[in-house]
Amino acid sequence: MTEQEKQTTQSPAASAVSRRDFLGALASAGGAALALAALEQFAADPQVALAACEEQIVQSTLQTGQSSADWKALDVLERMRLELLRALQKPQGERRWVMVIDLRKCVGCHACTIGCVAENKLPPGVVYRPVIEEEFGTYPNVARRFIPRPCMQCENPPCVPVCPVRATFTNAEGIVEMDYERCIGCRYCLTACPYSARVSDFGFTYTEELPVIQGLLGTQTADDYERVPNFEYGKQYAREGRASPVGNARKCHFCQHRILEGVLPACVTTCIGRATFFGDANDPESLVAELIASPNVLRLREELGTEPRVYYLK
Amino acid sequence: MAQIASTEQRPRFRLRLTDLFWIGGILALLIGATGMLDRLRFGLAPAAIGSYVPWGLWVGFYDYLVWLEVGSLLLFSGLVYLADDHSLAKIKPLVLFTGFVVLLMALILVAMDLGHFERFWHVFVYADFGSMITWMVWLHTAYLILLTVELVLALRGKGKGLLKALGIVSLPLGLMLILVSGSIFGVVAARPLWNTSNLPLMFFISALAAGASLLLLLVCLFWADKQSDEFARLTRRLSRIAGWLTLGGAFIAGVIAFTILYQGGGNPQRAAALQLILSGPFWWSFWIVHILLGVIVPAVIYFLFYKNRLLLTLGAALSTITFVAVTLNIVIPVLATPELEGLAEAFQHQKLSLDYVPNLNEWLVVTFVFGFGALLYGLGLRFLPVLPKRTQE
Repeated sequence: MTEQEKQTTQSPAASAVSRRDFLGALASAGGAALALAALEQFAADPQVALAACEEQIVQSTLQTGQSSADWKALDVLERMRLELLRALQKPQGERRWVMVIDLRKCVGCHACTIGCVAENKLPPGVVYRPVIEEEFGTYPNVARRFIPRPCMQCENPPCVPVCPVRATFTNAEGIVEMDYERCIGCRYCLTACPYSARVSDFGFTYTEELPVIQGLLGTQTADDYERVPNFEYGKQYAREGRASPVGNARKCHFCQHRILEGVLPACVTTCIGRATFFGDANDPESLVAELIASPNVLRLREELGTEPRVYYLK
Repeated sequence: MAQIASTEQRPRFRLRLTDLFWIGGILALLIGATGMLDRLRFGLAPAAIGSYVPWGLWVGFYDYLVWLEVGSLLLFSGLVYLADDHSLAKIKPLVLFTGFVVLLMALILVAMDLGHFERFWHVFVYADFGSMITWMVWLHTAYLILLTVELVLALRGKGKGLLKALGIVSLPLGLMLILVSGSIFGVVAARPLWNTSNLPLMFFISALAAGASLLLLLVCLFWADKQSDEFARLTRRLSRIAGWLTLGGAFIAGVIAFTILYQGGGNPQRAAALQLILSGPFWWSFWIVHILLGVIVPAVIYFLFYKNRLLLTLGAALSTITFVAVTLNIVIPVLATPELEGLAEAFQHQKLSLDYVPNLNEWLVVTFVFGFGALLYGLGLRFLPVLPKRTQE
């Protein structure tokens, strides 16, 4: 393997972080504590939070004997969180959120799918990020590949112009949003999406046909949980009768409600293999900007000219 | 004396053959009521459509009804106002009333397909004219208004000049409507079999063919004097038009299919969708229902047995009814072809499947809508002056 090939088959983060560095940083700064503190501060004052977060990371890297310029050598989640906070300091129109999925790292655990379902309180039959399992090759040279498929947040989204009531649109940050109250449920956007990334909410619940039993694991408790509102698009949508989002088209929105609070999308934080990356591609220092400049990057169905904002590393 | 008084008080009610429409309509309404109630109560959950096959039986029937409605009215207005066919003009109220009922059925059926049909007015308030559905709704509304005015004028026997003007206006309007209904599918780049400039034109030819068969059926069923030369001339003319349109449409579709499948097909997704139509689980709906019963049998009758009134009626009825197989085959197999291999197996749920077969609920809703249409049609035939009267030759 040539030196160049070695570089392309290893993500920058992976190549930069040694096990010793990672453990040292984790021990000195306390990754979880750092994250929680940063979040609390971000809610109060984003700029102060960003400065504090940067300082803590710099200190932690210094303690492990690295230079201050090596703060990138932390776990990718820490780095992406920092970059997210930094991106949020910019005007909305100057951010370009992208997602990068490293197919070599994905083990097909479906944690991202479940994390998304839990985060967005998705009912039965609604999924934003399924993981496609693909088997290829001929025996004895056979391999499997797992392809998570969120919404591609296309720069030229075919689902947007077909909507008869402008209920779906691209926001200033490039995320394709839904206006549940306006959507009439014609499902034209579902037919127009080349990635089948849109689904319809048919109004199912997990508990509707279960016996009613009081108690911790009974229907009542489960039902109460199921009716806790989600926070999609910064609003609260409780599951009540046939009210929206029942009857609407639904889709992945990169957990926009989390992003705006300085938290990474649920699928990113739940990925056990650190195979999903998220950030602002307009920031040349960001991890995602580095990753999408790799020669082994690809996007699904590029021939359609949709310009997806989800990149895959092969 | 008492007997005479009693007959004067009680108007005599005799069943006519046309009463079969409203009787059948009531029966269909009763049969379909449970499905319609389920639809209204539980939304789209009881239907077999899902997220990967989001349009199914109802959209297929909707397009079929649009073909019948617009096709028959386009052809009628063209023959009467542009080709001065005075014979056909005698069934103007009947044709307009038929189109009106079919239009209402189409609108009810497509409303049932909406996740939030109570928000239909959003299409007028928040309209985006970049969407073909917006055009479809606006044009359909304009067409409904135009048709209603035409029908009222025709039933009252007044405003012949205005009626003619409206009839001529209905030509470009109907043409746009049918092209837009084809473009709804034609502009979807994600579905290669739909995404061709041919599709709106195929919709136009098919709508005219279906409309010609419907007109022929109306003439065969309701013409006052079926022994007259005028009837013979009219049926001969209409059967030729219907026959050539049907064969022409089938020929063009065959040429398109050949180019798609040649050498295995240049576009695998498009070829797969077409193969699903030709040799998938519902191959019989294409080969037997559409090609045999909808094209070959009617064409043979139209060209060889057009003098046999019974056979001609049968041929026109077969062609009119079986056109639904065409629209269903346009809508469903394309959606049932995977966009990303393996996606349907990635997350299991009945609504995340590519295996679509219309279920009882969907058929019951269709039955209800057809029951409504038949009831309205039967009542119209009985109480409105829509049937052509016998003229002295």
